[in-house]
Amino acid sequence: MSIFRKVQLNDEFAPFAAFRESLGFVPNLLQAQTLLPRVIEAQAMLESAVRLREGSISRLQKERILLSVAADRQDNYCVSMDSKILSSLGLSDAQIDDLLAGNSNAALPAAELACLQFCLNLSRNAPSVSSQDIDALRACGFGDESIFEAVFLTAFAVYRCTLSAGLGADLEFEPRMLAPKIMDQPGRVAPHGSLPHAHEAAQRKGPYLPAPYLSPIAFTPFAIVEKSHGFIPNFFRSQTLRPDLLEAEMEAVGRILLPEDALTRVQKECILLAVSAANLNSYCVAMHCNLLRGLGLPSEEGDQVAVDHHESKLPESDKALLDFAVKLGTRPSEFSREDVPKLKALGFTEEQILEGVVVTALNNFANTLQMGLGIEPDFAPPPGFEENKVHLSGAAPAPMQREGAVHLVDILQDTDAELVAQAQAGQLEAFEELVRKHSQLIYRALVAMLGNPADAQDAMQDAFLSAFKHIGGFQGRSKFSTWLVSISRNTALQRLRARKNVESLDEGEYDEEGDLRPHQLRAWDDNPEQCCSKSEIRQLVEKGILQLPAKYRVVVMLRDIEQLSTDEVARQLELSVPAVKVRLLRGRLMLREWLSPHFAANLRRTAP
Amino acid sequence: MITCEEFFAEFADYLENQVSPEVRKELELHLAECRACHVLYDSSCKTVKIVTESRSFELPQDVTGPIVDRVIEKLRTERG
Repeated sequence: MSIFRKVQLNDEFAPFAAFRESLGFVPNLLQAQTLLPRVIEAQAMLESAVRLREGSISRLQKERILLSVAADRQDNYCVSMDSKILSSLGLSDAQIDDLLAGNSNAALPAAELACLQFCLNLSRNAPSVSSQDIDALRACGFGDESIFEAVFLTAFAVYRCTLSAGLGADLEFEPRMLAPKIMDQPGRVAPHGSLPHAHEAAQRKGPYLPAPYLSPIAFTPFAIVEKSHGFIPNFFRSQTLRPDLLEAEMEAVGRILLPEDALTRVQKECILLAVSAANLNSYCVAMHCNLLRGLGLPSEEGDQVAVDHHESKLPESDKALLDFAVKLGTRPSEFSREDVPKLKALGFTEEQILEGVVVTALNNFANTLQMGLGIEPDFAPPPGFEENKVHLSGAAPAPMQREGAVHLVDILQDTDAELVAQAQAGQLEAFEELVRKHSQLIYRALVAMLGNPADAQDAMQDAFLSAFKHIGGFQGRSKFSTWLVSISRNTALQRLRARKNVESLDEGEYDEEGDLRPHQLRAWDDNPEQCCSKSEIRQLVEKGILQLPAKYRVVVMLRDIEQLSTDEVARQLELSVPAVKVRLLRGRLMLREWLSPHFAANLRRTAP
Repeated sequence: MITCEEFFAEFADYLENQVSPEVRKELELHLAECRACHVLYDSSCKTVKIVTESRSFELPQDVTGPIVDRVIEKLRTERG
C-alpha cells in the first residue's frame, strides 16, 4: 500500500498520458504522488529528458545504470520496475541477475563497465569522486557529453530511489532477488557520508566538465532563475553542456520548489539545507543558507540548521520535519511508513509530508549532481561548517564521535570570543579593548547608515553604550563584529526615526528600480589617481559615497571601504549574497558616474 | 559574439573576478570589439581601485580615543 492517499487525475493529465505511451502503463511511483500533480510533472520532465529521450549513451546502457544503482541501494521497487524494462528491451533473466549480483564483468565491454562502476561510486560515495575519475572515463573513450549524461542519470537514479523509499509505492512486477549488501557501515545506504582525504579534496577542484557560455537572453530558464533568485547559481551554469537536460531540470526544480500550496519555501529550503549538511555537501549548504537569508531567515538560524537543526529556534514541528527528511535522505533503510503518522500528529497534511519526501529526493539529486560535476561554490559555507564537517553529520563515519548537540557558538572560533566572555562577566577593560578594536568599523557603518560623519561620531557613544547594555544577550551565534554592526544599525535607525526622514536601509531583496545603464562613456586616464593629491581623491570619494542612496552606501562602505568580504557584508546586513552584489554594483556604477568628470581623459580637471 | 546586454548581465561578477573561464572568454571577446563596454569596464575597475585605496572615512585615533574614554568613564561611574 502506498503511504499517501491517491487522487484520481484526469485521463488527459499529460505526464500520465506520456508514460502510458512510452511504457504502456503509469508506474506506481508516480501514482503515489497524485496529491501534488505538479511534482509528478517534475519527475516526468526529468524522466523523459534523461531516460526516455535519445541521448549520448544508449538506452540499454542507461537502463543498466538505473538498475545497478537501484540494486546497490537495495531498492526493491526500482529494481523490479527496471528489471522489467530491461527485459522488455531484450535482456535475458540471466543477464539481469548478473547485473543485480554486481558481477557483470564477463558480459559487458570494459568501457561500459568502467562507466557503470563510476555511476555506482557516485551514488554510493559522492564526495570521493574526483577529476581523476572523469579523466579515466575519457580515457575509456567517453566524450564529455556522455559523461555528463552518466552523472545526470545517476543523480536521477538517486532521486527515484529516495522517492521510492519515502513513498512506499507498491511493486507492479514480481520482486527480484537482491544480493545481500556488504556495507562498511551496517544499515547505512547514504552515499555521501564519508569524507575524502585532504589530498583527494585537493584534486577535486572543479568543474570537471566544460560548461559553454549560455546567455540568459538566449536561454529562458536562466532569465527566469535570475529573476526569481537574483542570480544564476553555478549549479546551473555548470550544466550547459546539455541544455536539453538542464532545461528539464530547471523546470522540474521550479515545479517542486516555488509553489507554496503545501510546504512554505522556507520549510523546503530548510529541508534542502539540513539534508545537504547531513550529506556533507558544502556547496549546497552554502547555497541554501543564502537562499534562506534571502527569504528572511536570520543568518545565524540558517547556520545553526546547517550544523544541528535541533538547536535552532525553528518550531518543534519543523524540527521533526527535518528529522524526517534527514533520515529519508541519508538512512533510507531506517525509514518506514511509521514516520509519516508522527508528522501528521504534529499537524502536517499529507500533501505537505509528500512534498517533504519529494524535496528530500530533489536534494539528493542535486547533491549527487554537484559532487559528480565538481561544481564550484558561489558562496562561502557557514562559518565552521567546512572545518567541522566530520562531526556535524550524525551519519558520517566520524573520527571524532559527535557528542550531544552541536552549537554554532562552539564551532565559530571568533577571535574575539575570549574578550567577549570577559566583558560579559563584567570586565570593563575587556569591553574597552573590544570597542577600540572595532571602532573604525562601527564608525563607518554609522556614517553609511546616517549619511553624515558628524552624526556618526555623535552616535558612536550611543552604539557603544547599547553594546555594553546588551552584551549579556549576545550568544556567540555570529561573529562579535557582526553583532556590533547590528547594534549600530539599531542605534542609527532610532536616530533616523527621530529625524523622521527614514531613508530605506533595507527594503526589498532585489530592487530593480532606476537606470543602471552608464551615461558617462568617455575613456578614463591611464593613471587617474595621479591627477589629484591623495587628500583630494579622498574628499572626492567621501562626497560621492555620501551622495549614494542609503542602501547602496552601506554596502559600498562595508565592501569597498572597510574591505570586508561580500559574504561578511551579507551577514552583517542580513541580506543574501546576491542582494549584496546587486547593491554593490549599483553603488559602484553610481560612483563611477560621479568620478567620471574628474578622471575622464582630455577633460579639464574640476577641483573636487 | 555576445551582445552588450549579455555582457552587462555578467558585469558584476566579472568585476569581482568571479566568472568561469568560458564566460570570461566570451566577455573578453566582446571587450575587444566593443568600445563602449571597454570604457565601462576600464573605468569601473579604476573606480573600485580608487575607492578601495582612498582610505575614506578613516577616523583618527585622537578622535576615537576620547569617544571610547567617555563611554568607559560613563560606565564606570554608573557602576559606582
